[in-house]
Amino acid sequence: MNKDAQMRAAINQKLIETGERERLKELLRAKLIECGWKDQLKAHCKEVIKEKGLEHVTVDDLVAEITPKGRVDSSMNFNTCLDSCSYHYNQALVPDSVKKELLQRIRTFLAQHASL
Amino acid sequence: MKMEEMSLSGLDNSKLEAIAQEIYTDLVEDSCLGFCFEVHRAVKCGYFFLDDTDPESMKDFEIVDQPGLDIFGQVFNQWKSKECVCPNCSRSIAASRFAPHLEKCLGMGRNSSRIANRRIANSNNMNKSESDQEDNDDINDNDWSYGSEKKAKKRKSDKLWYLPFQNPNSPRRSKSLKHKNGELSNSDPFKYNSSSGISYEALGPEELRSLLTTQCGVISEHTKKMCTRSLRCPQHTDEQRRAVRVYFLGPSAILPEVESSLDNDSFDMTDSQSLISRLQWDGSSDLSPSDSGSSKTSENQGWGLGTNSSESRKTKKKKSHLSLVGTASSLGSNKKKKPKPPAPPTPSIYDDIN
Repeated sequence: MNKDAQMRAAINQKLIETGERERLKELLRAKLIECGWKDQLKAHCKEVIKEKGLEHVTVDDLVAEITPKGRVDSSMNFNTCLDSCSYHYNQALVPDSVKKELLQRIRTFLAQHASL
Repeated sequence: MKMEEMSLSGLDNSKLEAIAQEIYTDLVEDSCLGFCFEVHRAVKCGYFFLDDTDPESMKDFEIVDQPGLDIFGQVFNQWKSKECVCPNCSRSIAASRFAPHLEKCLGMGRNSSRIANRRIANSNNMNKSESDQEDNDDINDNDWSYGSEKKAKKRKSDKLWYLPFQNPNSPRRSKSLKHKNGELSNSDPFKYNSSSGISYEALGPEELRSLLTTQCGVISEHTKKMCTRSLRCPQHTDEQRRAVRVYFLGPSAILPEVESSLDNDSFDMTDSQSLISRLQWDGSSDLSPSDSGSSKTSENQGWGLGTNSSESRKTKKKKSHLSLVGTASSLGSNKKKKPKPPAPPTPSIYDDIN
């Protein structure tokens, strides 16, 4: 498994070095805004904020709501588990077309640099 | 870096796919995290909920879907029947006509000065032929708009006759000119009816005269129409303008520009000379005032009547467009203005037309 980890690290490094990672990120951001994913998430956030109260919202709350992996730490409880389950929902919100296109580009990149 | 040990080509596709998926997931996570930071900052800075509106305002600005109303709930022809009071002349004007009225009323639009000048010219012409002199003088002293209103009330019938000249540059003009069946003495070959420019065959002599006092009037060779630009239009020379006037109105016609250097001193002396010089428009060029005096006395008598009437007009108003004195003084006082040849050489142009 070390090899795999090493390989992944190497690939990531390659991605960053060539600037491909930045390009992919920008592409993804643009596509998500275009397909309305950001607006959906924003509505979701609004609900969370109204629930938790405007003054007391923390980054952790939002992140827990939104990112794929909920925070796993000592304060983990049932609510946080539920929140972390929402990541599937958010990931599922990303349209298939966007996902496919990005994956295509990643594969192309990997194929280009396979011989290196 | 130990890249040579790890060669991607040695991996099978599933592994590659897994790696690709991981990379993709990482990217999505990054986007999500970035988004969270944005939202949190917006919340803490207080601008997160700015694009929301309260339900009351939402109700106020809801889209209206009733028949007869637009989406804002306004009635369609609401402004047609409304009337506004003009601050200048205190008349009540329809809303859709208010802007053009203000333009004319305040004298600040593009056509307002032309129309005003023409009206003054025409009203002066009409005044001479009428006998109620004193009233008109008083009226003329006031604001011209008030004066024109009074005249408008008096002479509604004249307005109908006057109609072709109200807006020489507006599209209405073409319609009125088309329907007019006036005759011109020597214009049979010219039957043009298109709308730009003025087709002079439809105009009577009086209308022509008044037209020529305010417009350039030079007939373009291509279109055979009179130029509608101002008296000082740069496309045509003064010589051409004089030629047109002489051509239409006979040898007694005078270029209206000339009156700017109006000088009544030499009125009696050079009057006959100018007449005689005018008579030579049909053939000879290079006419000098000294030559003409000796040979054409007989014709002078024939024109005597014409000059008398124009003289009387002249004494009334200084700036009469058609007075002979203008030419007389111009011939007499050639030093003031650029010396022009008195007889127009341009009748030769019209030989082609004829």
